[in-house]
Amino acid sequence: MPDTDVIVEMRHITKRFPGIVANDDISLQIHTGEIFAFAGENGAGKSTLMSMLFGMYQPDEGEIWVRGKRVDISSPNEAVALGISMVHQHFKLVRNYTVAENIVLGIEPVTRLLGLIPYVNMRPVNKAVRELSERYGLEVDPTSVIEDLPVSTQQRVEILKMLYREAEILIFDEPTAMLTPQEISYLLDIIRKLREDGKTIILITHKLEEIKQVADRCAILNHGKLIATMDVATSSTRDMASKMVGREVIFEIDKTPARPGPVVLEVSDLTVENEHGVDVTQDVSFQIHAGEIFAIAGVAGSGQVELADAVAGLSPVKTGAVLLEGRDITRMLVRPRTLKGVSYIPEDRQDVGLILDFLLEDNLASKSYFKAPFSQHSILHKDAFDAYADDLIRRYDIRCSSGALTLTRSMSGGNQQKAIVAREVEQDARLMIFVQPTRGLDIGAILAIRRRMIEERDKGRAILLVSLELDEILAVADTIGVMFAGRMLKVAPADQMTREEVGEYMMGVKHA
Amino acid sequence: MSEQKRRNTSSVILREVAESSLDPATGTQDDREETGQSEPLQIQMNWFLRAFSNERWQFISIPLLSILVSLIAISIMLGIMGSNPFNVFITFLQGAGWIMRPVYAGGYGQLSDLSNTLTAFTPMLFAALAVTIAFRGGLFNIGISGQMLISGFLASVIVGYSGLSAFVAKPLVLLIGMAAGAAVGGLIGFLKYRFNINEVVASIMLNYILQYAVSYFIKIHFLDQISRQSRVVSQASMLVLSDTKVGGVYVSIPLCFILALLVAVALQFFLKKTRLGYEIKAVGANRRAAQYSGIRVRRTILVTMMLSGALAGLAGVSYYLGYFNSIEPGALTSLGFDSIATALLGNAHPLGAIASSFLITTLDTGGTYMQSMMGVRQEIAQLVTGMILLFSACSAFFRWRIALSRQKAEMRAREAAASGGPGGCGPEVEVSVQGGDVQ
Amino acid sequence: MSAVNTIIIDGLALALPLLVIAIGGIFSERSGIINLALEGLLGFGAFCGALFAYSCVAFHWFAPDSLAPMYLSFIVAAAGGALFAVIHAMLCVKFRANQVISGVVINILSVAMTGFLTSQINKTVFSGPSSRFDLMTAPRLTVPVLSKIPVLGAVFTRFYPFEVLILILLVVFWFILYRTRFGIHVRAAGDNPQALDAAGIEVSRVRFVAVLISGALAGIGGMCFAYSIFSYFSGAIYLGYGYLAIAALIFGNWKIMPTFAACLLFGFAQSGASQLVLLLKVNSSVGDLAMIVPYALTLILLAFFSKHNRAPRSLGEIYDKSKR
Repeated sequence: MPDTDVIVEMRHITKRFPGIVANDDISLQIHTGEIFAFAGENGAGKSTLMSMLFGMYQPDEGEIWVRGKRVDISSPNEAVALGISMVHQHFKLVRNYTVAENIVLGIEPVTRLLGLIPYVNMRPVNKAVRELSERYGLEVDPTSVIEDLPVSTQQRVEILKMLYREAEILIFDEPTAMLTPQEISYLLDIIRKLREDGKTIILITHKLEEIKQVADRCAILNHGKLIATMDVATSSTRDMASKMVGREVIFEIDKTPARPGPVVLEVSDLTVENEHGVDVTQDVSFQIHAGEIFAIAGVAGSGQVELADAVAGLSPVKTGAVLLEGRDITRMLVRPRTLKGVSYIPEDRQDVGLILDFLLEDNLASKSYFKAPFSQHSILHKDAFDAYADDLIRRYDIRCSSGALTLTRSMSGGNQQKAIVAREVEQDARLMIFVQPTRGLDIGAILAIRRRMIEERDKGRAILLVSLELDEILAVADTIGVMFAGRMLKVAPADQMTREEVGEYMMGVKHA
Repeated sequence: MSEQKRRNTSSVILREVAESSLDPATGTQDDREETGQSEPLQIQMNWFLRAFSNERWQFISIPLLSILVSLIAISIMLGIMGSNPFNVFITFLQGAGWIMRPVYAGGYGQLSDLSNTLTAFTPMLFAALAVTIAFRGGLFNIGISGQMLISGFLASVIVGYSGLSAFVAKPLVLLIGMAAGAAVGGLIGFLKYRFNINEVVASIMLNYILQYAVSYFIKIHFLDQISRQSRVVSQASMLVLSDTKVGGVYVSIPLCFILALLVAVALQFFLKKTRLGYEIKAVGANRRAAQYSGIRVRRTILVTMMLSGALAGLAGVSYYLGYFNSIEPGALTSLGFDSIATALLGNAHPLGAIASSFLITTLDTGGTYMQSMMGVRQEIAQLVTGMILLFSACSAFFRWRIALSRQKAEMRAREAAASGGPGGCGPEVEVSVQGGDVQ
Repeated sequence: MSAVNTIIIDGLALALPLLVIAIGGIFSERSGIINLALEGLLGFGAFCGALFAYSCVAFHWFAPDSLAPMYLSFIVAAAGGALFAVIHAMLCVKFRANQVISGVVINILSVAMTGFLTSQINKTVFSGPSSRFDLMTAPRLTVPVLSKIPVLGAVFTRFYPFEVLILILLVVFWFILYRTRFGIHVRAAGDNPQALDAAGIEVSRVRFVAVLISGALAGIGGMCFAYSIFSYFSGAIYLGYGYLAIAALIFGNWKIMPTFAACLLFGFAQSGASQLVLLLKVNSSVGDLAMIVPYALTLILLAFFSKHNRAPRSLGEIYDKSKR
């Protein structure tokens, strides 16, 4: 291809963070009108590289060329001026504003009232956004308020934002992480349509199937180094995968068939309302047996997290019942539930699972500090905290700079999650609840946690898994329950449902 | 181990005050550990950073720096106004009884001044502890003044105007003070617990309500027509032995001085070593996580506010039946608000509160003498306090900058080590603030 | 004059200054900065305005009966309040301080500084021992025809000139907050500052300006009290109305019009209670009991409405540009 086709070129880019080389001498070219994918594990440096193209960081060494000119992109504003836009993993949307207000944020059109007083006129914006939405088949109403919209629609608002700003180079950072299979294929269609329209697409993902489906070329990063740039059409997924991880990968985890015992958890007709009085789950019923992994699938916000919270006692139940080994625990407080054998790995590990400003030992004992040997006659024994923490750190391989006395905030996300898992496994509970246990972790850690779930199942515990990652559910579940809009639409053994079927229930398209 | 322990605990305390959202220094530790790099680095920093980068001492070095900077600022101001700042500070200390005045009036001596300072110190420390415990529990008790007033008032009415003997009266005053304060604190906690009313707003409203209610009752039933204050309470109920002759000079002996110190030490133990203390700190640091670990958050909030109120009650009785012996209707004491400053200056730490209470009361009680000797308005005492607070409010920023600079220095050192050349000749490297967050 | 008229007249005279302070608070808090400093800001603003007006009289800058010093003093008060708010803005936006602490520090600093400066300036410049700046009481205006309307006429009777100013400010700042680019940015900064930053708007600048606005409006509010309740400036100005304004804006759910309603409610409760005491001809000490009414009422109403309140989502959070 001639050089005039190259829209973005990176030459010998190096970016260091204290202690880590995030990008190490990376050079590559991206062509106009192609879909270019970056693949790599969490921490491989793909987001960092694209953040530099988007002006959020500056490279320590190397040059970025856009449309044949050397550029210094020192802020996202300058990137936008170059026609570069990015959809972040965490959407940058003001939640109490309308779609259109979000799209024009920062470039609001001003009309003069009586030819004098400037004010923001939303009418032309609404019209323009509606037209754009129709042109790309995005199905977004410009006047609806963001917080009322599902995640997939919010993502399309982000896409509209880029289109409204007439971006030519569109960067998508892990765009499919929160979507159902159907939503994913809808998104990939949109991405293809954008390419047909002449846009250049950069896709950051660790899902190789998607790259295979949609991308033209693919760069593979590992530990900050560019391993290869390959044509997707002529490469196998297996080849890409081994380059990505740096070794042959085994995605499968050994899992023997479940040998379910008696019922441990029984939930019947459970309705939970949120703080605004809206029912977030409606009449949900299911059972989990000892030695069974029951996984709840569903798009974000289907009520699955609230359901887990209610089972763990963190939010009050409106109607219905929760029975643990036949005993009614519906109105029980959190502490007695813990003591009766419920352990819980929450979705938000930094804001719920841990107190970041506490020492690691205080966090490891946060569910047992009130018992002997940690506490006697209401007085705490720090020696017991130290000893217990040292033991867990060793057995669960928690990496921390100052041992039991490490400040939890200073630990990496993966080690924070290890600490939570260690604490919860040590509860020796009858029922273990895992909510999004592997989010944001690298492949090694993901596999370790999935193996741990199966191990605990084999010890005869009942496991409730809530995950937004369908792959995860299909990998470990014995039974799958699919939730949509607060209702449990379908419960079936895992081997009796295909990926597509689960997806259809997740979208609420199919009913049992 | 014990060294590490101390360092980490102190940084927890600092952080709770600062609520800084990230900490590059510790982030660096983590990365170093992950990349397996452990050899000591030759870090080049200027003297300033070296002096303040030791986290173990930051809890003391940074407040000291704040005090120093504000004293310099005030000194410059005094210099411009034509007063000798050194003499001003000396007269403050003389007025507060820490050093001898050149001349004393008959029957008075250094001990008189010092006992006066300690009498003022006692309620200040109680009040600062009340703020401290609320703060550690994630609550902001801005209603100390109101809690002090109702405690002082009820203790005066029930005990102060009765003929009870000193042995019964004094403990009873303490008990009533604690109970009344705890009741008001508990009410604020209850309003938050039950109705989700912001404790700051509830405290302020209750301050007004108590102020006017007490004023009404004093005016109707307990007014001294001459002083326009409430009637003076009995000597037996007083927590200060006023105008006692010791060594030939008049002194007032604050009976609760030792009690206040003991309570501070006990509070420190309570927060550090007890179950309830753990729970209060957990709720203060992260309510959702506390609830998740099985702590009854709302009950803990209620208990925290009751404890805070009880301490404020002790402040109230040692103020209205100690430092004073009557109540002015329709007024709240500014001590309740000053105690917030004191607690913040003490780093929301019970033992820190002892030090800062000494400082603030010294400025307060020394002010009158300073004004009479130097002709500088005694309001400057408050100005000094305000300045110190202003600089300590920036302490989170200091710590953040220090950590950042150290990170940069470490980077340079590491680069120098890597290139084999002498330190400092590598290119200037931009360092992200967000240490470990690469992905 | 009927009791109802007096209730309306006095109620508005209290409610409107409270409102202008609360609007300032709304700007600050909607941008994400908790503003407990309103009390200190209104005091410092009033100090600056009063110092100016007092100087005008002392140095004969204007004709003796001129109203110009009064009107100009409001501008000076706004400038003074904004100037002092720079400290809060610096601490919260640049120095990453805890916003609650910063607010309290500013209140303490404001009381200390104005107290010290008032007596020091009186001593050295005006050679008096006083710890206050005496002002006139603002004149009261009555609209000829409208004031004759039954009941509602009271709104147009014996009002202070600054009440008109505040109503104008109400319209202007409502428009700014909800209809201009800046207002959109302020509200976005308090909900999701990352989104605003990604849209290319400097979050810290928006917040800085919002805090300055809160200082200016609080200064105007403080000046109103100096000219109505007190007719002088002294430490007495720190009556707690800044805190009351915070209660009003929380009660008003951080929205301007509901906050206006909360302020009116408070003003009328206060004036109504004191009228009641007058009418019943009871001991004047009972006035103290009447004074409880507005505060108790606020507390009770808060108990009913606090559950549904939604504070700006990022209120109190330090915005970190590098954090994604």
